[in-house]
Amino acid sequence: MNGKGRHMALCKDIVENIMDYIDAELDDKTLEELEKHAKDCPECGAFIRTYKKMLELTGKLRNRSFVTPEIRARLKEFLRSSLNLN
Amino acid sequence: MEIGFLKKIVSSLWEIKGKTKDNLSSLSDEKLIELFTTDGKNEEIFEEIFNRYANRVYGLAYRISHNQIDAEDILQEVFLTLFKKIDTFKGKASFSTWLYKVTMNASYMHYRAKGKKYESEISLENYAPYDENGTLMGRIKSKDWSDRPDEVLFSREALETIERAVNDLPEPYRVVLYLRDVEDKSSDEVANILGISVGTVKSRLHRARLFLRDKLSDYFYEWQG
Repeated sequence: MNGKGRHMALCKDIVENIMDYIDAELDDKTLEELEKHAKDCPECGAFIRTYKKMLELTGKLRNRSFVTPEIRARLKEFLRSSLNLN
Repeated sequence: MEIGFLKKIVSSLWEIKGKTKDNLSSLSDEKLIELFTTDGKNEEIFEEIFNRYANRVYGLAYRISHNQIDAEDILQEVFLTLFKKIDTFKGKASFSTWLYKVTMNASYMHYRAKGKKYESEISLENYAPYDENGTLMGRIKSKDWSDRPDEVLFSREALETIERAVNDLPEPYRVVLYLRDVEDKSSDEVANILGISVGTVKSRLHRARLFLRDKLSDYFYEWQG
């Protein structure tokens, strides 16, 4: 489609425009054609739904805690020795 | 920076005065760094920076190195750089962008110093779920997992699965995805951090997301029924 929306949308068009679709950056004509296709295509409907859930799930990784009290203590000691402090 | 001042900061890194800590935690990154680099420096400021960024620096280092020991080494190098070279932060980009750049540089230098080579640069350039006719027919709907309840979708097991899938991404894609979708940086910021074009950021992010969505579909289909 190349963002021009000049032919019937394919599943490929949904996939290749998914980022702009999610970010609401598609022009009206392209958006209309993609949504028409997605409405009639159960595969694309499922693709969009699972894509959105995947983004939600990926965002949860931000909450993972890495730095333990032990790592913190070793950092303190490293800085102390590297800066020649007592 | 004088040794006496550094000693004062380091020796009291873990001795926080509650009231001061509360005040610092309400400051923007930029204001905090301004205080750190001017005569307002005090020992609590570094602690506040550590609290905000140590986990994120370690997270990026870990996603690059795949190794906890290397990630900790990189964390130490980054915070040493923060002590020694904070004056090179000019405020042209956000502090977090500067710190992520420092982390990327420290990661690459760490690898070089250890004589390690990056994993093979497998390209996902052509990765796509559709067939040669451009259709998804029979490829997605049968594995639709979007209606699973949150306790399944956001289970520890599912999060571990996506963590593994992220780790399976080739490094150029993994770093972009981590900064964009986990750290929530903009495409412009990621491009700045990595020294690549915004177009390249978007292209890598697109393929990385397609890869992850497929991995999750396999997981929910095979393991959750």
